[in-house]
Amino acid sequence: MKGYKASLIIIIVLVVLILILNPYFIVEEGEQAVVIRFGRIIRSSADAGLKFKMPLVDKVHYFPKKILSWDGDAQLYPTEENQYIWVDITARWRITDMKVFYERLTEIENAHSRLDQIINSSARDVIASHSLREAVRNSNLINEIERKDVYGSQTGPTEEGEDPTAVKTFTRVTYEPIKRGREALSSDVLKAAAVELSQLGLELIDVVVRQIKYSDDITQNVYRQMIKERNQIAQAFRSDGEGEKAKWLGKMEKELLTIRSGAEREAKEFKAKADAEALDIRNKAYGRDAEFAEFWMAMKEYEKLLPQMKKTLTTDSDFFKYMYKYKK
Amino acid sequence: MADEIIDLQALQKKMNPRVIFIIIVVIFLLIAVFSSFYTVDQKEKAVVLRFGKYERISGPGLHFKLPFGIEHNYNVPTGRNLTEEFGFRTHKAGVVTTYTRGDFSQESYMLSGDLNIAEVTWTIQYQITDAKAWLFNVDNQGKTLRDISQSVINLMVGNLAVFDVVTTQRTLIEEEGKKMMNEFYNKYKLGISVVSVKLQKTMYPKGAVQDAFEDVNKAIQDRIRLINEGKEAFNREIPRARGEAKKTIQAAEGYATEKVNNAKGDVARFLAVLSEYKKSPELTRIRLYYEMFEEVFKDPASTDLIDKQLKNFIPFKSLDSREKGGDR
Repeated sequence: MKGYKASLIIIIVLVVLILILNPYFIVEEGEQAVVIRFGRIIRSSADAGLKFKMPLVDKVHYFPKKILSWDGDAQLYPTEENQYIWVDITARWRITDMKVFYERLTEIENAHSRLDQIINSSARDVIASHSLREAVRNSNLINEIERKDVYGSQTGPTEEGEDPTAVKTFTRVTYEPIKRGREALSSDVLKAAAVELSQLGLELIDVVVRQIKYSDDITQNVYRQMIKERNQIAQAFRSDGEGEKAKWLGKMEKELLTIRSGAEREAKEFKAKADAEALDIRNKAYGRDAEFAEFWMAMKEYEKLLPQMKKTLTTDSDFFKYMYKYKK
Repeated sequence: MADEIIDLQALQKKMNPRVIFIIIVVIFLLIAVFSSFYTVDQKEKAVVLRFGKYERISGPGLHFKLPFGIEHNYNVPTGRNLTEEFGFRTHKAGVVTTYTRGDFSQESYMLSGDLNIAEVTWTIQYQITDAKAWLFNVDNQGKTLRDISQSVINLMVGNLAVFDVVTTQRTLIEEEGKKMMNEFYNKYKLGISVVSVKLQKTMYPKGAVQDAFEDVNKAIQDRIRLINEGKEAFNREIPRARGEAKKTIQAAEGYATEKVNNAKGDVARFLAVLSEYKKSPELTRIRLYYEMFEEVFKDPASTDLIDKQLKNFIPFKSLDSREKGGDR
């Protein structure tokens, strides 16, 4: 009975002692810690595991060992051409030297506000010394893309096998080439900021532009300009259509005239040839006795023409020579 | 009241140290049992830490671990494809998927390389390939993942013309975007692999801009219609003209044949008469002359006859009366 009581008390006292004195601490994966004794860092533990410390005297300060994100608010920066754009930057960083970090910043929040200052000012410098397109584009890929079939597949080439005019004007666009590009600008910001930040015991891993936007009034301008550009293209297509139609009508006119005049000519040739042949036939025959032929033709023509006329005859003609006498 | 006092006394009697000790041991054992196993789902992997230090990874099933939090497990869904949505949020997926209402244009509106604006929404599917890396290398993994995905798509869109983004270069964005995201995630040792990047919407900004773009499509249709109108007119007129031309030519051929035949006919008669004429010219001549007269004066009513001498014959009609316009 007494033995139980004693052992129970010993156990309880031991547990309480351990809990109060706490001679160990745990560093989890992804964490690191420094041991501080009387305000001085005496040890740093970068590896995870169970660690011991001097009870009551040592304090443990934990830091993340993981890669941390910094996400500043989007900032309105002027570009080289003094156009204001919203630039939203994120960065990744980690604590490399806990001792320095503890001395200079102590808390993560302080680090964030320093990152705000340093990255934003570097970014402002970099953006201000470059044109907008350098920040927006990353390479000159935009000029390498083949846009021949963009509208062609929907419209088909014209009769002459050419792309519609509207397509030509569209595909011929080349954009001002860039020299640096967004990634280069980001790494400029990184380089400028990293030096200063390394003195605070942290490493800036990268700086990445999450988003670039126009300010609201420029956005409206851009919309207007986009609309205008599309209107032009639409107009070009319609005009092209009108032109094509006119071409067809012109072609039709030409064909019509060619066909009709050709037929006319052929008909005349046939007739002329026939006339000549007929004349030739007659001439050959009549030539055999021109004097009689003349008489013959006169007779034929009289027969043909006179019956339709109103006639008044005098008895003076040869026909009536026997009218008043029976002999010559 | 008395009853309670008796009960308490009885309880006190029972609560001797031995009983308490046993109770404590039982509780201790119970906690030990319950904190010494864990289950892992088929689609998961568990990372086990001992005193915060990485110990092992275990697959699906029931597993044992050291109790009292000495070993701790994190279950990570490695077997599933995880999805992140950008520019929209699925509210409830199903036969009729509903989307969360709200403005995500902050994510989806971006600048294109030709300094226009496009609306792009997309999803990424990824898999956690390294559970340990996923847990301990990067702080706030989800946000890092989203930040990078957003910046990559922004960069891709910023590198192309808005037209390319909306129409032809979607695949390029998806493929290059996936490659680039994976490069970033590998650099951070995030322990994930992007399986696919899928663009959902790639559009021009809503409203007037979109209308203007649609008008281009209408213009393309107009162009086709106009060209067809031209072709139609051509096809309507030309075959008819060809037919008519043929008709003209055939008529001329007919005329020609007729003309020649007439000539031949005339000549044949002439030649026949000529041979007769050669035999007796005078008689033939007279015969022909009378035949002509017969032909001309076949219609007896139409001829007036005037006697030259006026003494032998009574005129049917005087010249004077005719000249005065009297009727016949």
